[in-house]
Amino acid sequence: MTVLLVGGAYQGKAALAKRLYPALPLVQNLHARVRDELAAGRDPMALLEALRGHVITCDEVGCGVVPLARADEDYREAVGHLCCALAEEADAVVRVVAGVPQWIKGKKPCM
Amino acid sequence: MLILVTGGSASGKSAHAERILCERAPVSRLYLATMQPFGATAEKRIARHRVLRQGKGFQTVERPLDLAGLKLDRRYDGILLEDLGNLLANELFAPEGAKDAAFGSILAGIERLQDCCETLVVVTNEIFSDGLPYPAEAVRYIHLLGRLNAALCARADAVYESVCGILLPIKEEETR
Repeated sequence: MTVLLVGGAYQGKAALAKRLYPALPLVQNLHARVRDELAAGRDPMALLEALRGHVITCDEVGCGVVPLARADEDYREAVGHLCCALAEEADAVVRVVAGVPQWIKGKKPCM
Repeated sequence: MLILVTGGSASGKSAHAERILCERAPVSRLYLATMQPFGATAEKRIARHRVLRQGKGFQTVERPLDLAGLKLDRRYDGILLEDLGNLLANELFAPEGAKDAAFGSILAGIERLQDCCETLVVVTNEIFSDGLPYPAEAVRYIHLLGRLNAALCARADAVYESVCGILLPIKEEETR
C-alpha cells in the first residue's frame, strides 16, 4: 500500500502518517528529497518506484508566486509533477490542513 | 456556463481543465493561450501543453492581452482560457497592457468570451500561500489575482481545485 500526505508546511503531516498508517515505512519531506535530487543532477521522477509501499509526506510547495530564480521554479515544478504521478498510483492521498486529514483519494483506514 | 479550475504550479490543473472542456464542448473548441513564449521555462511549458491538447480538436489562438478586443468569427461550443495569472501579469506589466485598468479589462474580456461560447473554462493559479514578502508591484499583482479569482468564483457555475492531480470541488454546479 502506498499513501501520500500533502499539505502546507508544519500542518502535522508526519504525526498523522505515523498514527494513521503505523505499519508502513515513513518517507518524510519528499520535497526536500526532490531538491537534493535536482542538486545532484538526477531526475526526481526516478524516485517514484522506490516510494511504493511507503507512507510519504510532502509539502505542497506550488501555491506561491512563481519564483524568480530558475532553480527554485524547476524545484516547485518537479515536486508538483512527482506528486501528481505518486498520487495517481497511490492507494490513498490525504490532504492535511491544520492537523486535520482529508482523504482526497481512497478511504480512511479502519483503526 | 463558466467553470474555474485553480491549483498550485504543476498540480495537474491544465489536464483537468482540458478534460472538463472536452466533456462539455462536443465539437468546436478554442484554446486561448495567454502565455508569452519568453524564456526556456515558458517554452517548455507551452510545448508540454501542446502535447496535452494534441488530437483533441482545439483551435489555438495566442492572446496575451486585451480579451475584450478579441474578434472571433464564429461561436464555439467551448473556450479554454489558460491562464488568468499570465493574463493579469501581461495586463499589468507589458508595455501595451491595460495597467491600472487591468482588473476591469479582464472581467470585461471574460464576459465577452462567455458571449462567444456555450462553456468557458478558465484556468487560474493559487499563488497566495508562500507567506514571503514581495515588492509593492508584486503585492498588487497577488492582490488583484485574488480579487479576480473571487469575482470569477462568484459568477462561476462550478469551481474546482486540483491537488496532486486530484480534482476537489470548491463550488459545485447546481443540479437542474
